[in-house]
Amino acid sequence: MTRDEIKNLILDIIADIDEDAEFDGLDPDKPLRDQLDLDSMDFLDIVMELRKRHQLQIPEEDYPELATLNSCVNYLEPKLKDK
Amino acid sequence: MADYQLVIIGAGLSGLASGIRAARFGLKTLILEQHSLPGGLNSYYFRKGFLLETGLHAMTNYAEAGDKRAPLNRLFRQLKLSRKKFATHQQFSSLIRFPHTSLQFSNDITLLQAEIDEHFPHCRDSFQDLLTNVADYDPFAPSSWRSTRQFLNNLIPDPLLIDMLLLPLMVYGNSEEHDMDLGQFVIMFRSIFLEGFFRPDDTMKEFLAMLVEHYKGFGGELRYKAKVESVERKDEEVKGVRIAGGDYVSCDTLLSTVGAPGTAKLVDWPKEPANYEGRMSFVESISVLPSAQRRVLNADHTIIFYNSQQELSYARPQRALSPDWGVICFPENFHDLPKQDFFQVRVTNAANYDIWKQTNSEEYQQLKVDAEAQTFAVVSEIIGNYQKNRVYQDSFTPLTIERFTSKAQGAVYGSPVKIKDGLTPYSNLFVAGTDQGFLGIVGAMLSGVTIVNQQVLR
Repeated sequence: MTRDEIKNLILDIIADIDEDAEFDGLDPDKPLRDQLDLDSMDFLDIVMELRKRHQLQIPEEDYPELATLNSCVNYLEPKLKDK
Repeated sequence: MADYQLVIIGAGLSGLASGIRAARFGLKTLILEQHSLPGGLNSYYFRKGFLLETGLHAMTNYAEAGDKRAPLNRLFRQLKLSRKKFATHQQFSSLIRFPHTSLQFSNDITLLQAEIDEHFPHCRDSFQDLLTNVADYDPFAPSSWRSTRQFLNNLIPDPLLIDMLLLPLMVYGNSEEHDMDLGQFVIMFRSIFLEGFFRPDDTMKEFLAMLVEHYKGFGGELRYKAKVESVERKDEEVKGVRIAGGDYVSCDTLLSTVGAPGTAKLVDWPKEPANYEGRMSFVESISVLPSAQRRVLNADHTIIFYNSQQELSYARPQRALSPDWGVICFPENFHDLPKQDFFQVRVTNAANYDIWKQTNSEEYQQLKVDAEAQTFAVVSEIIGNYQKNRVYQDSFTPLTIERFTSKAQGAVYGSPVKIKDGLTPYSNLFVAGTDQGFLGIVGAMLSGVTIVNQQVLR
C-alpha cells in the first residue's frame, strides 16, 4: 500500500466506527483523539479493524504510534508494504 | 480446535452486547439462553392481547445523537449500531415525593436545581458543590468502597434532601442496603439526573429483536431453551459447557452473565456464594387501564419515587412487601409516543425474598393478593384509584424474578460485592452484567462490551 492508500484506509476505518466523524480541516500531525473526539474504546476499534481487514497484530505498547494520521501512516507503511 | 472461540451464558442485555462485540470482530461466538426469548430481566410476555414488558420502566443515560462522549452513544459506536436511526422519546418529568416535600426533575438538570432553590434554599450552594464533585469524579478508576452517605453528610446540610436525592438512585440500581458505593452513586447520578429517562420508539420486543438480528448479521449464533447445566474444566481452565439434554459445547473462552452465585454453582467455584447474594428484591404490580381512566388519576409525571416515611430505609423489609417507599411508573408518559387505547400503571415495592420463598403455592397466591392490597392502600393515596375499570392486572415477585432471570434471591441489582474486572479463579472464564457492576439497560450492555474489550479481544 502507498502512503495515500494507508491514509485512506485509516479514514475509512474511522468513518466506519463513527457515523459522526468529520474530516474537514483534519490536521495530520495533531492527535486524532482530540480532533475527532475519540476515546480509548474507539482506538481499540481501529486496532481491531486493522486486524480484521489486514491480519495485522498491533501490540498494546504500540498503540501510541497511532496517535496522529501521519504517525499511523509511518507506523503502518512497513507492515502494509506488500499488501 | 474448540467448537467456539467464545460461548456466552445468557441472552440478556449484557450477553447480547458481548456477543455483538465479539462477533463483529470475527470471533466464532455462541450465546446460550435458557428461555425461549432474549432479554433476561428486561424481556416481555403476552397476556390477553397485551404485550407487557418485564423490567423496563425507562432507559436511563439519555443523550442526543452526536454527543460522542455520552455513555449511550459510546455504546452504540461500540456495537456498530446507528444512533441517528435509533428514535428516542424523552420523559415528561419525574417526582420525588416525601411526606411534606416534593422535588420535580427532568432530563434538564436546571429543573432540579430550581426545585432545590425553592424547597431547600439553605442547600443551594452545597448542591452546586455536589454537581462539581460528580463532574470531577472518575467512577471507573480502580478504588476501594467509599460511603456515599458519609460523603453526602459532609457536603449537604439537610438529611431530608440527602434521602430525597438517594431514593431514585438507590431504587434504580443499588444492590447494597442503606448505603452505596460512591462510584456507583456518581454513575447513577449522571445516568438519572444529568442524562435522564427515555424510551425507545417501540417496545423491548423490537429493541431485543434488533440486537439479535444485528448479532446474527455478524455471524453470531444463538440457541434458545439451552440451559447450561455445568461447566467442564481441567484444573484452572474451562473446556466447555454441558447443556440440559446432554449436548456438550467446547470453547476457548466462556463469559457468564448469570451472576456470581449462579456462575459459582455451574463451575464449582469454591467461593462463599452468600457474599455475592444481594438482599434487595422487589414486587412489581402492573395494572392496565382504559385511556379514559387517565383523566381521573394524578398521572402527569413519568415516574414518581415516593417515600411515605420521614426517613428512607433502603433495606430488605421485615414483611413480605413494604409499601413504605417505592416507584410508580407510567410507561406511556414519554414525549411523542403514539396514542394508545390503554395505559399502564406499574408500581415497584421492596420485598423480602425469604418470606416468599417459604410459601406453598396456595400461600403464595394469597401473599400476592395481600401485597397488591398493601401497595394499593398507599399508592391510591398518591395517584387516585388505579384499580377501577382496570382490564388487566399482574404482579412479579422475588420468586418470579429468580426463576426468569437467574438472579439469586431475585436480587435484581445482583451482588453487593462487584467483580469489576470480570475475573474469576479460572483463566478463561469471565463474568459480565449485573455482578460486574454496571446497571440498567445501557449499563448492562456497556458491561458486556467492556469485559469483551478487556478480556476477550486483547
